[in-house]
Amino acid sequence: MILLESHNVIIKTTLADKINKPSSLDVSFVDYDGVRFRLSTPERKTALLLSMQIRCWDELVRYGALDVLRREYGSLLKDQAEGEYNVSMEIDLEQVPAGAEDREAFIDSIALFKRNALAAPFELAFKTQKELEEANAGQGDLMQIHYRDEEAIYVQAANDRVTVIFSTIFSDETDRIFGKVFLQEFVDARRLPAIQNAPQVLYSNRDPPLEIRHLNLQKSEDIGYVTFVLFPRHFSNPAVAATTISQVQLFRDYLHYHIKCSKAYMHSRMRHRAAEFQKVLNRAKQENTSAEKKTVRFVASFI
Amino acid sequence: MSNVLRPYLAAVRSTLTAALTLENFSSQVVERHNKPEVEVGGSKEVLLNPLIISRNENERVLIEPSINSIRVSIKIKQADEIERILCHKFTRFMMQRAENFIVLRRKPVPGYDISFLITNTHSETMLKHKIVDFIIQFMEDVDKEISEMKLSLNARARIVAEQYLTAIAT
Amino acid sequence: MEVNFRKIDIDAFDEEVLRESDLYEEDPRGPAQALDEAKQKQTAVRSSLARNDIVGALSLVLDNPPYGPHVEEAKNISLQTLLTILNTTKSTEITNVVKSLSPDAQDTLMKYLYKGMGMPGWGDISGSVLLGWHEKLTEVAGTGCIVRTMTDRRTV
Repeated sequence: MILLESHNVIIKTTLADKINKPSSLDVSFVDYDGVRFRLSTPERKTALLLSMQIRCWDELVRYGALDVLRREYGSLLKDQAEGEYNVSMEIDLEQVPAGAEDREAFIDSIALFKRNALAAPFELAFKTQKELEEANAGQGDLMQIHYRDEEAIYVQAANDRVTVIFSTIFSDETDRIFGKVFLQEFVDARRLPAIQNAPQVLYSNRDPPLEIRHLNLQKSEDIGYVTFVLFPRHFSNPAVAATTISQVQLFRDYLHYHIKCSKAYMHSRMRHRAAEFQKVLNRAKQENTSAEKKTVRFVASFI
Repeated sequence: MSNVLRPYLAAVRSTLTAALTLENFSSQVVERHNKPEVEVGGSKEVLLNPLIISRNENERVLIEPSINSIRVSIKIKQADEIERILCHKFTRFMMQRAENFIVLRRKPVPGYDISFLITNTHSETMLKHKIVDFIIQFMEDVDKEISEMKLSLNARARIVAEQYLTAIAT
Repeated sequence: MEVNFRKIDIDAFDEEVLRESDLYEEDPRGPAQALDEAKQKQTAVRSSLARNDIVGALSLVLDNPPYGPHVEEAKNISLQTLLTILNTTKSTEITNVVKSLSPDAQDTLMKYLYKGMGMPGWGDISGSVLLGWHEKLTEVAGTGCIVRTMTDRRTV
């Protein structure tokens, strides 16, 4: 699996399971970026309550997350969220669509709960870009989404593009150097003819890019900034816009996932190589001569 | 073995062979103690001249002989930041397993990446030429391993970037 | 209370302590004389090299080299002189040159080779040239030559 999937596997499997065989349950689980979920049946077996907590909920609401969720889930969305959580929806298992395909589509859309909430600022930016293009004027507001403790996404629309900036932290030196290698490839990959249409990727270390320099972010060697420049061709068609949003919002997780994978691979290589060295060294050990002694003793007793 | 590396490894091999003439020797300073003199450094008369074999500034081997032990320190080639970190990780991985690699030292001598300490006990219980083989093999393979790891990292990064951008571009 | 006595270097008063000077005799020539000789040799070696007499040049510089402490300058000049010879010799000739040296000269050459490798980047030291010489010299003179380099305290 090279690309990460944007739906939540636990929601998907649990929901499919419960639709077939309703039973009472209460599970808490997580998704990327510290998002917490709780799936429970507080009243009866067929009424599932799904709640989600996101760190940057207030920011998302400001950029229209509730509208997006209402559009996607309609009346499922509850007015009052469950305590400790930011947003809840109630799924009545008796009301799910009957046809197999419809049912699957329904489950998939529920599993995209987190993706849809995080999509709000991107959708807003795409909309703003269109308005600006028509008005042929300036830039939209800089939207900040602090989706992790020390990392954030910045989204800004202009009349001909939408700029998305990720700030990400590399927790140790190996991550930092591996991250640099990966990001360099992101910058270089666009030279391939097949992906010339991909968004332009820029990478800077330590110094934040021009768009967010005025925020006076703390400077550190461990922080990297990745800028994606999205042009209308990446989001003018609704289906394309949806994939773009799904991929872009998972960029940070994707990058770090592969850095960790590389480290694990290096580790398994080192393990193998160390075992090889061990074999070479073992050849230096003198062989045990106890076998010969036995023969001697045997001969002696024979005589 | 590449032709460029051969004279270097040959020089290390002959020097190690020459240095691995060890005998049991009790400490002259502390009664009933028997320690590797090259580590203690207490008695000048049992330490021999340390020898350095180098290809260039970044690749060298320091061999410190003494009456009952020799210390071999290796500086591994590190062309850039990636090789440096990979080399550091690899040598650390080995050194954490020093008890398995009887002759490996847990810490490198300052200025080097990895050190071996061979005492008279080792040279008595193991075959001397095979110990030398081990060190030579190590030097040969560690370079190879590091460059292979670097290549695989770059290859992975390229595939990862292409896949991701393809997903957005289409 | 007087505690200064703790700082006294008692080893200095130990009559049995071993000093560097007990291990070997210092170079009988003083720094000045050693430097003079090294410079004379350098000139002599240049004229030998001009006549393409590599063996002669090598024997000259390897004979009675400056050693021990206090003669750093002379040592550096000798090493420099030697390096010029090593760098100008064709790699195919090395074996024959080494063979025609006396055993003592071979030992001294080995000392210089290790000294050269010990300071990479100094002057016009080239690792591959030194390694090439080292290989040929070990073939001719054997491991014993390396052992003598390790054990001889009169470092060049």
